[in-house]
Amino acid sequence: MKKHSVCLIFAGLLFLLLIPAVAFAGGQKDKGPEKEVELTFPTFWVGQDSKSAPIQTLVDRFNEENAGKIRVVIEPNPDTDGYRSKINSGLAAGVVPDIFVFNPDPTTFGYYESDLLMDFTDDLTGDWAKSFADGYIQASTMNGVVKSIPFEIGVTPIWYNEDLFKKAGINGFPKTFDEFWAAADKLKAAGIVPTSQMTGGANAWTSMLWYSHILASLGGPTVWERPLTDPIYVKAAEILLKLYTDGNTTKDAVGGDAGVAGGHYMAGNTAIFINGPWYIGRIKGDAPAVHAATRLAYAPAVSGGKYGAMIGFQLSNLAAGNTDDPVKRAAVIKFMKFLTDPENVSMISQASGAMFALKYEMGEDVDPLLKQFIEISSQASFSVPHFQSQYRIEVVQELGQAIGAMVLGKATPEEFVQMLIDVNQ
Amino acid sequence: MRRYNSFRSISTGTLKWLFLGFFFLYTLLPFLWLILSSFKTNYEFTTAPFSFPETWQFENYVKAIRISGLPRLFVNSLIVSVGSTALNLFVSSLGAFVFARERFRFQNLLLNIIIAGVLIPIIGLMVPYFKIITTLRLYDTKLGLIVTYAAINLPISVFLLYGFMKRIPRELEEAAVIDGCSFRQRYSRVIIPLSRMGLVTAGIFVFLYSWNDFIYALLLTSSVKARTLQLGIRFFVSQFFTDYTAMFAAIVITILPSIIIYIIFHDKIIHGLTSGSVKE
Amino acid sequence: MDHYKSRKWIVVFLLPLVIMFFLFFILPLGFVFIVSLTKWGGFGKMEFVFLDNYRYLFQNGTFRIAIRNNFIWAFSLGFVQITLATVVAMILSRKPLMWKFLRTIYFLPNVISQVAIAMMWIAIYNAEYGALNRLLELAGLSRFATNWLGTIETALPAVILQQVLYIGYFMIIILAGRMTVPDSLYEAADLDGASVLQQELYITIPMLKDILITSMTLAMAFGLRHFESTFLMTAGGPANSTQVMGIMLYNNLHSLTYGRANAIGSILIILGFFVIVLIRRVFGSSSFTTEIRQ
Repeated sequence: MKKHSVCLIFAGLLFLLLIPAVAFAGGQKDKGPEKEVELTFPTFWVGQDSKSAPIQTLVDRFNEENAGKIRVVIEPNPDTDGYRSKINSGLAAGVVPDIFVFNPDPTTFGYYESDLLMDFTDDLTGDWAKSFADGYIQASTMNGVVKSIPFEIGVTPIWYNEDLFKKAGINGFPKTFDEFWAAADKLKAAGIVPTSQMTGGANAWTSMLWYSHILASLGGPTVWERPLTDPIYVKAAEILLKLYTDGNTTKDAVGGDAGVAGGHYMAGNTAIFINGPWYIGRIKGDAPAVHAATRLAYAPAVSGGKYGAMIGFQLSNLAAGNTDDPVKRAAVIKFMKFLTDPENVSMISQASGAMFALKYEMGEDVDPLLKQFIEISSQASFSVPHFQSQYRIEVVQELGQAIGAMVLGKATPEEFVQMLIDVNQ
Repeated sequence: MRRYNSFRSISTGTLKWLFLGFFFLYTLLPFLWLILSSFKTNYEFTTAPFSFPETWQFENYVKAIRISGLPRLFVNSLIVSVGSTALNLFVSSLGAFVFARERFRFQNLLLNIIIAGVLIPIIGLMVPYFKIITTLRLYDTKLGLIVTYAAINLPISVFLLYGFMKRIPRELEEAAVIDGCSFRQRYSRVIIPLSRMGLVTAGIFVFLYSWNDFIYALLLTSSVKARTLQLGIRFFVSQFFTDYTAMFAAIVITILPSIIIYIIFHDKIIHGLTSGSVKE
Repeated sequence: MDHYKSRKWIVVFLLPLVIMFFLFFILPLGFVFIVSLTKWGGFGKMEFVFLDNYRYLFQNGTFRIAIRNNFIWAFSLGFVQITLATVVAMILSRKPLMWKFLRTIYFLPNVISQVAIAMMWIAIYNAEYGALNRLLELAGLSRFATNWLGTIETALPAVILQQVLYIGYFMIIILAGRMTVPDSLYEAADLDGASVLQQELYITIPMLKDILITSMTLAMAFGLRHFESTFLMTAGGPANSTQVMGIMLYNNLHSLTYGRANAIGSILIILGFFVIVLIRRVFGSSSFTTEIRQ
């Protein structure tokens, strides 16, 4: 017994001390120069994500074409929030994956300040640059350098349920807010809640998009050049407040998340909704009748404001870890060019309903709703990104709280804007 | 049974059963709801969360098994949870023993510092833990998770074991010393058997933590060779849409074995305890 | 016993614990404290700003709400939940019908993922199709129906209440402690004519003092670092009324304001340390802060 316990303790200590040693031995496999380059690609386009299958297909094809030279390994990282935490923690600890994805916003563009990201400035010229739709490379440029490649984009027009509109006796989507309130009254008279709203989730998504639309009408193409102190933010907040009151949205909107906002629209409880093309697959599967009845529209114009704005933004940019190894660098560029190849992008788009920052052709058998998306965004009189892409995450996180405060009577529209200003430092 | 009869007044009995019944329903509710929801479509789930499924969606279970590769992850979870529990109990019981049964300088200070570890918001340590694990070259290994989970739970285990070990009467140990027990034997022959209840309690919590943790499993692993069940479950959470019903099916699949393990583990040890020489 | 030998063994026994604790707590905490004095976005320059982050937080209304809420959480868990758990453990320790089965069921919520439980409560509290409002309606109390998680007055109580009633975790600890109290004590009291209530009050509680204080301290610590169910159910809303330090810390990590995030972490630890010491002073002076009975 005596020996036994002594042994146990020493075994334990040895174990603790051996951990680094054993692990070192395991991790130190040197890769010869002639060996194939392995690129790790952690991504959240896995599992149930609609882009999961097409991305996997493309990676497999790329690996096949470059057998013996390059191999891209997908590291599945479900849960976008967790993925972001992981990338952030890695970057802070100085570890960057070979290839990764991030949501471009003022916070993540902070990545550019480090030397950890690969610089694509000199590569994104000539034919490759020309294959991108206008403006996106520029939007991914900070201080003259491009350290990420524009990839998936989102457009979020207003969705409305035409069947419910007809039931309430409304023809077409209102073009001004005066008409809009009249239409809302008709909907309510028919027992239909006009809009889906939400203050929950990480970013109050649906309401954040409403706010963006209203601001776009008020501020025009250069809306985001205006600081938060500009009166349009208060004016837009007043309209947003009205969307929340007088039964213009559901009772669970304050505190509700994307499930609440989308659920009510799919159930036919609400007539108006906002989301991007990625939602098409979901609604088609879950509520085919609502899918068939859905039409897209521009947001109504605020009196004195502009009509025909589209909210369009970069959703995911591709990035890579910096490397001194020219072979590896070339491999990364090759893969990036492959992923952004117009034909490949078209394939992903058709398979998933996603849209991309590239010039590409769509096939014939496109979902009718996706076709509407493409049409309405190409005919927009101007397009601006959403609120979320313009402000640091602190502000976006506060937005839902501030809407809640305003709707619950704890803040006036002026104080609502002040709450945003306070966190925007 | 004797004691049960000693509840003399009927009102006490009724009150007792009301109490037990309330908590029974309250704690069973999420489980039933989870099972019910796992057979629904997502549409039903969001629009009628408390109704019975219109048609029972067994395919959620098919999806759960197919998409997330649960069996492999299950084995990993088991290895990681058992490993971290064992490592944690070993390290914390040695320490708790010394704290509870010995006297030395800075004892209270050291103990207070370790116990204060229960306060630490573990999510705040993502960056340092990532750094430590990659420096130790334990990234993407089961061992990395085992060590991390064992370490994270040290304060709570030391705290619990200390509480249990301190309650053991001095006389028992003194008798052992008179019988010629050495320092190590006091640990292995007297204190450890007498604090089995504490070990089980602490062990359950370490096991559950390791079993349920998501964020460090995600942070510290990148491939199926080291990943745990929680990551499999999150495969239903994608950027714009969470497939809750299939996720719930995956959760149901994963909790059934853990409940069975819990029952066996708990009863075996408790049985061992009551039949052992402890009480007499 | 040889004194020197025993001293050597104390060191050997403590060594694994101290090594692991140093690596996974002291070292990271050093990092936390240092970063809390800087302005740092995760990479690039770390700008030393001394106490600016702390100053910012204490001037921030939301952070003050968060601290208040954390204390409400700590007291709700430390007193209400522990009291309920103790009562249930006492009842179960007398082995009523199906006590093992009940013990397992009570523990069940701890095995189920928090995500699922939070989803259920979101659905129960929902204003449009929620079960709670429907129950009130059936009882003729529909005037009390509200958007439970979306109203400033009800959101915090709603989130706390659902959590406080999941007593399984602490019930298991207390029950385990209760099972180690010798039966003979109760038998003797029974013979003396003590009622069950008296037995529990005068035997169980003093015998379990250490375990109860341990549980209470743990529960309060959990309350102070509370994060998950609030994050899942309200994300701190509406209007920051359910905000807690853990969520603010997480949000700051997410927005790459690491200086602020780590300042929150530091404040949480310091506050908690005082709370722990206070509890032990008030309730457990004999067992913890003074020397061990020899």
